[in-house]
Amino acid sequence: MQAEPLIEASGLAVGYGGEAAISGVSFALRPGETMALLGPNGGGKTTLLRALLGELSPLAGTLRVGARCASVPQTERSQLDYPVSALDVAAMGALSRLPWWRRPGRRDREIAADSLRQVGLDGLADETFGKLSGGQRQRVLIARSLVQDARILLLDEPFSGLDRPSSERLEALVGSLAAEGRGVMVATHDLEQAQRWDSVLCLNRDQIAVGPPQRALDVDVLEATYGGAIVELPGSGRRAVLPPHHHHHPH
Amino acid sequence: MLETFQLPFVQRGLIEILILSVPAGLLGTWIVMRGLAFFSHAVGTAAFPGLVLADGLGFAAPLGAFAAALVFAVGVSVLRGRRSGQDTAVALVLAGCLAAGVILASDVFGSGSNIETLLFGSLLLVDGGDIGLAAAAAVATLVASALLGRHWLRAGFDPGLAGPARPDPRVLDAVLIGLVALATVAALTVVGALLVTALFLVPAVTARLLTSRLRSWQLLSVGLVALEGVVGLWLSVETDAPPGATIACVAGAGFIVVAAGQAVGRLPRLAVLATALGALALLGVGCAATGGNDGGRLDVVATTTQIGDFAREVGGSAIEVDQILQPNTDPHDYEPRPSDVSGAAGASLVFASGDNLDSWVGQVVSDSGSDAEVVDLGAIVPERLPGESTGAEASRFDPHWWHDPRNAEAAVKKIESALAVADPAHKALFERNAGAYLGKLRALDAGIAKCVHSVPPKQRKLVTDHDAFGYFANRYGIEIVGAVIPSQTTQAQASAKDLSELAETIEREHVTAIFPESSLSPKVAEAIASQTGASADHTLYGDSLGPQGSDGATYLSMEEANANAMVRGFTDGQRGCRPSP
Repeated sequence: MQAEPLIEASGLAVGYGGEAAISGVSFALRPGETMALLGPNGGGKTTLLRALLGELSPLAGTLRVGARCASVPQTERSQLDYPVSALDVAAMGALSRLPWWRRPGRRDREIAADSLRQVGLDGLADETFGKLSGGQRQRVLIARSLVQDARILLLDEPFSGLDRPSSERLEALVGSLAAEGRGVMVATHDLEQAQRWDSVLCLNRDQIAVGPPQRALDVDVLEATYGGAIVELPGSGRRAVLPPHHHHHPH
Repeated sequence: MLETFQLPFVQRGLIEILILSVPAGLLGTWIVMRGLAFFSHAVGTAAFPGLVLADGLGFAAPLGAFAAALVFAVGVSVLRGRRSGQDTAVALVLAGCLAAGVILASDVFGSGSNIETLLFGSLLLVDGGDIGLAAAAAVATLVASALLGRHWLRAGFDPGLAGPARPDPRVLDAVLIGLVALATVAALTVVGALLVTALFLVPAVTARLLTSRLRSWQLLSVGLVALEGVVGLWLSVETDAPPGATIACVAGAGFIVVAAGQAVGRLPRLAVLATALGALALLGVGCAATGGNDGGRLDVVATTTQIGDFAREVGGSAIEVDQILQPNTDPHDYEPRPSDVSGAAGASLVFASGDNLDSWVGQVVSDSGSDAEVVDLGAIVPERLPGESTGAEASRFDPHWWHDPRNAEAAVKKIESALAVADPAHKALFERNAGAYLGKLRALDAGIAKCVHSVPPKQRKLVTDHDAFGYFANRYGIEIVGAVIPSQTTQAQASAKDLSELAETIEREHVTAIFPESSLSPKVAEAIASQTGASADHTLYGDSLGPQGSDGATYLSMEEANANAMVRGFTDGQRGCRPSP
């Protein structure tokens, strides 16, 4: 008997101005499950994440999100110059739990400090957010989602720009958070890493495939997902996706 | 330096700017953080046509400004796509607002509004309503910051964090812009529409260089607005510059000092701050060299150049004359400056010309906190001609009474008696001086009459810039045929129809000369002259004496010069009242 899914989507279509950007999306994310969200730029990854966060309403199909969702976005340049410490950012998570007129109290600051400890940043709580490294910033944002008390974590390309040790530390953290019963969805371009998550969801305006990576990922699926921008690595038989050079959010 | 702050109008400005420092400093940080700097600058400028409209149509200025700012804010919010193109939309609307305001102010409402004051502010116009508005903006900003500050911070950091139940980012932005509009309107009188940004943004940006935490940033911003505002106000009084401009300069200097201080070696922040404050203080002290005292002489204010001349003739070395209008300035469109008010502060007597020519003098005296007696000389002169019944400067009598020397005699006698009452110790001196001067006035009158009457009456046809010479013409038998500006005030405008009628009259009446006035632009007079074949070579002194060294530097030489110019014009240069130069 499996646990009740945290997210259940069935025949979901979402878009902007009444026009569907993605359609036919059906999947379930269960507690403890890590899911890679694969797809080309403009394929609808961000659209799906925004639907899960409640920013966009379904145009068709059903979407049930059964727990609090927290997003871990990519760091934007404007944030590097923001007058906030790591602890300030983590404490912002409390705002999603409180009514809008309530200001976070001392207890919420303690929770934020605990969360920073949990992601291994206890020594950097008072450092300015923009002064942290890319991996440290990702972990601050994850700490913030812990303060939000979210059971669903949505990570938008958290590994891009990270060096190998940072990347491995982040991956281990994601694994341990999932082990505590959270559902984690990671939008990524890293096909090799995606093979290590519990499941993958391939999206290119339509849902191409969903399931455990060993079963779901084959050459046909990847070709449909990435539109042929895929190469076979000589000798090894491993598949690789040509990395896109620019990242555009569909708007 | 500190006496400046004892003047009532400076104190009002001071209170205004100190209250404004709260909303300006706080909103400045939010504006910078939310990336709305250009937008909020535009909100201030957008208020400008609203101000002009309110002024022209006669409803409350803050209402017009606030409405215009809100219409602009809503308009741009609707226009902008959430990311790109916003700046372009703002810039377009901004340019449109500025242009509309200037056109409305100069063409539609004519003299009703002074563009410089609306754009750069005026300390003299701050009143209780402005202070109340500033207090309201301060309270609203404090309440909103307490309730919404963390949401503004969060939304600026990461809009995606908001769940569906959180305040909508658009609502947050709208509240912020609404507050900016309110605080902008409260600040308009003192800093003007164009430089509101200096009060809101520059201190916030400067403070940002010194701290990387929100709370200290906000405290420092509020403190900087207060400091730079006070220094700027003081500087504006001392230099007679509009307060908006001086505050902007001080704020800009503060930013440069801090930025340069940081670029030159990574000094500790406190040291940089101390340097900046020190530099601002030095800037203040350095300009503090103000005029000394007058050695116990009676302080007298004269509004116009001719009255200043009378007062100096009668008072001699016993009085100190503070003359508000300088040579060749036009009294009709004069706006008093802070130094006029500080000059009036120590005065015992104020001599005014009256008849709505210098009606601003009452405001100057009350703003100075002085209890000086205002002597209206126009009210006691014997020869009176009717004034205009309509227009901006309608008055019962034509205000240019001094062009009849008999009126000048009466004015001089009145000045003598007023001085004798104020300073009885010098009564004999005043009597002696006045007696000698009255003799010269009578000789002047007789001399002009003799010279003008040497011209056949039908040649004495006068066309001038505006109707300033009614008394002169009346006294010496000159016929006034027309004026380029057909009004006793220079504030009226001549229409194309008026001008073509004037040209016809000039040709029909065989007028040989048109006389431009020294304090007005000669362009229109010259254009009509060249169209009709009349000359425009002889300039008259209408509303003002000429500068030192000119032939119109004193009342006596001015009237003589006018008579000479007219006679030369009437006789095609054949004859004059003086030997030709």
